[in-house]
Amino acid sequence: MTATTAATEAAVTTTAMLSLDGIGKSFGPVRALDAVTLTVRTGSVHCILGENGAGKSTLCNAVYGTVSPDSGRMVLAGADYRPRNPADALRAGVAMVHQHFSLVPTLSVADNLLLGRDGFRPPRDALAKDLDRIADSYGLRVDPRATVGALTVGARQRVEIVKALLRDPRLILLDEPTAVLDPAEIDALIETCAALAADGKSVVLITHKLGEVARAADEATVLRAGTVVGGGRLADTPLSSLLELMLGDKEPIDPASRPRRVREPDDAEPVLRVRGLDVTRADGSAALRQVELNVGRGEIVGIAGVEGNGQSELTSVLSGALAAGAGTVTLDGVDLTTATPAQRTAAGLAVIPEDRHTEGMIAELSIAENLAMPRLRRYRRWGLLDRTAMRADAAAAIAEYSIRAPGPDAPIGSLSGGNQQKVVLARELSTEGLRAVVAAQPTRGLDAGAVAFVLDRLRAAADEGAAVLITSSEIDELLAVCDRIVVAYRGALLGSVPAESPTAATDIGLLMTGVPA
Amino acid sequence: MTTLHIRHPLAVALLALAASALTGLALAAAAGADPATVVDALVEGTLGSPFAVGTSLNNAALLMLVAAGFTVAYRAGLVNVGGEGQICLGGIAATAVGVSLPDDLPLPIGLTLTLLAAVLAGAGWAAVAAWLKIRRGTSEIITTLLLNFVGLALVVLMVQEPSLLRQPMTSSETLPQSERLADSAHLPLLGLPRNPATIAVVLAVLAVLAVGIVLRHSTVGLRLRSVGLSATAAARFGVPVDRTAFLGLAAAGGFSGLAGGLLVASTPFVLAEGFSSGFGFSGLVVGLLARGSMTAVIGVSVLFGFLVSGGINLQLAAGVPASTVTVVQSVLIILIAGAAWWTSTAKPANRSARADHQLAGDEAGDEGLDSGAVVRKPADDETEEVRA
Repeated sequence: MTATTAATEAAVTTTAMLSLDGIGKSFGPVRALDAVTLTVRTGSVHCILGENGAGKSTLCNAVYGTVSPDSGRMVLAGADYRPRNPADALRAGVAMVHQHFSLVPTLSVADNLLLGRDGFRPPRDALAKDLDRIADSYGLRVDPRATVGALTVGARQRVEIVKALLRDPRLILLDEPTAVLDPAEIDALIETCAALAADGKSVVLITHKLGEVARAADEATVLRAGTVVGGGRLADTPLSSLLELMLGDKEPIDPASRPRRVREPDDAEPVLRVRGLDVTRADGSAALRQVELNVGRGEIVGIAGVEGNGQSELTSVLSGALAAGAGTVTLDGVDLTTATPAQRTAAGLAVIPEDRHTEGMIAELSIAENLAMPRLRRYRRWGLLDRTAMRADAAAAIAEYSIRAPGPDAPIGSLSGGNQQKVVLARELSTEGLRAVVAAQPTRGLDAGAVAFVLDRLRAAADEGAAVLITSSEIDELLAVCDRIVVAYRGALLGSVPAESPTAATDIGLLMTGVPA
Repeated sequence: MTTLHIRHPLAVALLALAASALTGLALAAAAGADPATVVDALVEGTLGSPFAVGTSLNNAALLMLVAAGFTVAYRAGLVNVGGEGQICLGGIAATAVGVSLPDDLPLPIGLTLTLLAAVLAGAGWAAVAAWLKIRRGTSEIITTLLLNFVGLALVVLMVQEPSLLRQPMTSSETLPQSERLADSAHLPLLGLPRNPATIAVVLAVLAVLAVGIVLRHSTVGLRLRSVGLSATAAARFGVPVDRTAFLGLAAAGGFSGLAGGLLVASTPFVLAEGFSSGFGFSGLVVGLLARGSMTAVIGVSVLFGFLVSGGINLQLAAGVPASTVTVVQSVLIILIAGAAWWTSTAKPANRSARADHQLAGDEAGDEGLDSGAVVRKPADDETEEVRA
């Protein structure tokens, strides 16, 4: 490890775009970054790898000027670099694309790109020229007249990257850019990164997905608990060693390695049953057309598919957030089509919502409150809240789900994404009389350890007899955990691929392009 | 905290108070009054006599009720600007009941009926805005504000129209006001010597304490908060979002309506044009400044209550326009609001949403009554920054 670092340093003295030397940052007693030393070469794509909470984002924020390091030195293109705020960073030629987009959905792409420019009259003509130039050199095309709200996630991200490129930066930081993209969009992003690097710019890519690193990056640095634990040129470093460095001494939990209880085929009624479901979007297009779906007792059914093919609408109808245009949803024969969320919970339906931040939790409330919200009745004593019982139950959940948190009273918003999801999981899986679980993209944005944990818990729920429905864009995860997989394609559910089938991955891939199996 | 840091909320409040007092003195001097006379008049009008103290406390009680109601609705994410109109409706209903009660009815029954009518009328008035909000999505800030003018006009109609609540006209001098409320609807005095303070003061303090406990320690409080913080998530958790929001705003109206009932149930026991004298708007300001802390609601209400009666005496004794006090209040509001921003920028690393809780949270956390309940420990702040 030391050898590679030394080698990297030797190789970059002449072509370093950004060098960090002993960067440290503490938040109170927590050491977020500890003597981080790394070099990003000019014209390269540099990956920063690490699990949630490893300090990746803090490092980026330090470079972008939103966090000021306590110690260490940064050198940008040979000059001392000490940004006090993002404006400083932008002036020095450092741009950042955040994980959560900062675009105004009701404005057009052009208006979004012109926001924040100086001057009274927006320079529309100059913008058109700039957009042409960016499209020509990096293959990044955006439609300036489109309304941002109508764009797909991938297109929005392109707008964000274009926004960063309009400043003509030397160094571009991309924070978890692939978390919400489908495979084709990820390919396009990787190509863009390569084009940027070829143009002499440096790209720093933060991710926890190793597969992307292999394809996108020239070099990688692995962070764990705020320190650099290794890395180097990818040509010299095998991926498996990066994975080991990332996870440390933790045993990666592979859901497939744990034998599932074999369930006898159930000829009884399916637990969760969807019949002839139609959903129309606000713009009048059909999101779901005549969808039929059965999930049996103890069965795990996965829904694969490129985003935007109706799977979000399906899970929203099941959770009660969206009204069905036609069709029925039944749980154990009880019609839940028009039931309120409270009635669904009472019927034993647990929901892990797709958008954790707006539906799954209330960031300002404590972990204990977030856990107790759907069953406040249980914590009522003499008309008041029994906070002692709430805290005790929360402490138990924190221990059982190994949630990393200061305590039950910590606001859930202060936890990392993986730990927030564990709280959501703990709450939903402890639903009284659990009969079915609807998990929408339950592993999105989580690191490898948390992904395995979430999938493991869902399997345990199925083993205890719950009908489990999972939507995910990660086919590998679905194959590892599900019994069978259907594919969402243009508002319909295609096929039913048994997970143990040797050709499952190919079959799913075909179905995703709309070819019936 | 042992030392009083300059950015401590209490220090900030005291500094703001001193600065606005100086502004007031400067204005009074500009109006040609001698500062010593001004101070004398102000002290005389606030603490100078049991009468002044009692009047101030009665004013404070009304402000407390409006502010407590404001806080309840604000928890559910709704801003009730309609205190004034709700006071008007409360007053009208209380008068309608109060004048028709027999004089010899036992006081607990008569007073309860009168005030109950006031609460229901105020709540009903707010319910109009609440219904528009949940059915049509109309901004409650606009509807409650506009309903104020309807409410004020209704009072005029009631006291001008003999077939409604106007007292029988015996001569051309008969004032446009209602009949006196029956004795059984009169608010009893607290019984302090030569002091007009009524049991409204006790009622209001109890109501504020009850609101504090409900907001912080009950499932209702948690539901209101969840709706205010994230209606989508609250709906997923099975909280009846529309009903909670509706009841939150209606409760706010109920508190203001009660204030209106208390107004007509104390001297001179009549409904007259302008009887609400801006308590709805001042109460709104108290609610905004208190930022969810019930301790602060009581403190600010008392301060404002005294300032109002002081201002009246200022005009009588020192010849300084009573509106000087309004200016002083406004300066105070600007300073406290500005200070909230200032205290929240004290620690650059810990900026963000916490600004909302800085002023009230710190102070009220000690009292255990802060319904904001987001009294964050330093450790939490750090993990928030560390998340990757």
